[in-house]
Amino acid sequence: MPNMTESEVFDKFAQIVAKSLRIDASQIAPDTHLTDLGAESLDLIEITMETETQFHIFLPDKSILETAVEVFGPGILEKDGYLTEEGKRFLLRRLPGADAQAFVGEVAVKDLQSYFLKVSTWVRMIQELAQFTPAECQSCGGPMVASMGFRMKCGQCGQEITLRSGEELNREWVREYYDREYRSQAGAPVSATAVQ
Amino acid sequence: MAYDSSVTQMRMPAGCPLGPWPESVCVRLDAFPCEPSALADLILSPGEGKHWRSMPGVEKRRREWLLGRCAAKEAVRALVDLPPKEIEIVADPYGRPQVRYCGAGVHACGGSPDPRVPSVSIAHSQGTAVALAVLGTDTRVGVDLESLTHRLEDFEAIAFSPDERSLLAAMQRDLRQEWALRMWCAKEAVGKALGRGLTAGLLAFHITRVDRASGTIEVALRDGALAQCPQLRGKSLHVYTARESDFVFSAIIYRHYRNGAVRMRPSRQEILNYLLQKMGELTEDWDYPDPVRAESKLFTELGFESLDAVVLCTAIQEHYQTPMPFAELLAEIGQQQRDLSIDELADFVNTHLGGPAGTGSATRRVQ
Repeated sequence: MPNMTESEVFDKFAQIVAKSLRIDASQIAPDTHLTDLGAESLDLIEITMETETQFHIFLPDKSILETAVEVFGPGILEKDGYLTEEGKRFLLRRLPGADAQAFVGEVAVKDLQSYFLKVSTWVRMIQELAQFTPAECQSCGGPMVASMGFRMKCGQCGQEITLRSGEELNREWVREYYDREYRSQAGAPVSATAVQ
Repeated sequence: MAYDSSVTQMRMPAGCPLGPWPESVCVRLDAFPCEPSALADLILSPGEGKHWRSMPGVEKRRREWLLGRCAAKEAVRALVDLPPKEIEIVADPYGRPQVRYCGAGVHACGGSPDPRVPSVSIAHSQGTAVALAVLGTDTRVGVDLESLTHRLEDFEAIAFSPDERSLLAAMQRDLRQEWALRMWCAKEAVGKALGRGLTAGLLAFHITRVDRASGTIEVALRDGALAQCPQLRGKSLHVYTARESDFVFSAIIYRHYRNGAVRMRPSRQEILNYLLQKMGELTEDWDYPDPVRAESKLFTELGFESLDAVVLCTAIQEHYQTPMPFAELLAEIGQQQRDLSIDELADFVNTHLGGPAGTGSATRRVQ
């Protein structure tokens, strides 16, 4: 579903959350944190699974900062639990819609975790990933339907595609950012992009 | 002012790989000892109280947070005698809870931080909270608690790799659900002990072995989790898990040494193996007709004299970096005029590597 608006995604996601936590969807607002609604770790897993099924996407299994640290190497984006200036610059670019004010001064890694529990963060992430899930078959234009696992199948010609994982897309984004915006100005080695 | 409650102090069963760990206390609270806001006034430091009053979210979250703090403070208090209000639990920049002392008790000792600050881990689920506190520098702890009423379809597909799922393969439905949850709890406990939670991704915490008899689950770190904690490369982390009524509980304790070594609580068998090996070294040129066995008696069979026993005891204490009351043991067997087998010595070490071992739970009155 690549063409859903933010409010359509929000409504559908709020339904998923409400059902999982057995609460009324009216309690959920964009700036609500899932844990403030009483979600425990297993609820988050349930919400993740349901979101993947309903939106036909594959959510990343680790935080974007974690993926970025793997590409950049240790100590560049985060040091002793606090974001470096480089880290703040990276996250502001990666998380459009993030409140720039929240990245002023000392920002701890744990503050970021609460950002990732916000409903609006999930909604933006879903919307972004959904762009990579085709609604129509690229060969015949028929409607795509969910198939086994993270696969989609054309309802008309039967052609199958595998969905790209959020983790893979995150990593790609980070590598591109690293090459284009970090490496040249920091004089850092090329090698980090060649990892794996 | 005092509140009235019974607190369950969980003891690790004697056979569990964690316990008895020296100076560790695990507290579980299933209910509020008094009205929540009254409890907050009684136990929270001024800073924590402010945090609790302005805490957003549903009542369940606020109550469980408070119950978790209460359990943690009770666990810390059992190790370090300070009033709960003077024990503050603050999150480090990664979110790991840390104990800090505030108030008169600390000012009385000139504001210098008490060196006996335990490591602590807290978990809560469905109205129950559990906390584990352990004394000792560089000790890491992690606990988790999940309710078995939380049944998820297809949960295994997202939480575990195919290799991990194969560990569950032969189990029947109910058993499989319990052990899948234990495996999940094991990952959570390791993430908490590392201090970063599961941010490195669930598959970075790889379960290599499940021992159903003892409840032990072994976890090896991979990828991002290993990058967060490179000292643990090649180490198998032993997580103790247990089921108690509708809950599954997990706990891990390990210690980092400055030289980079990592210690997990050795099993009795490992202790016995070490003792046999050490005896072999000490008596290398003593020309025994038979090899040293677990049943061998130190004095009559192996020809030990008291000085040899002291050498052995010193070596044991150094090896485990834990003082043990060997003098009392030697005096006791001297008085009773009996001998000591290596097997008995292993029991002694096993017991004294930690506090009192025991099964079941002890209840205690909170003042």
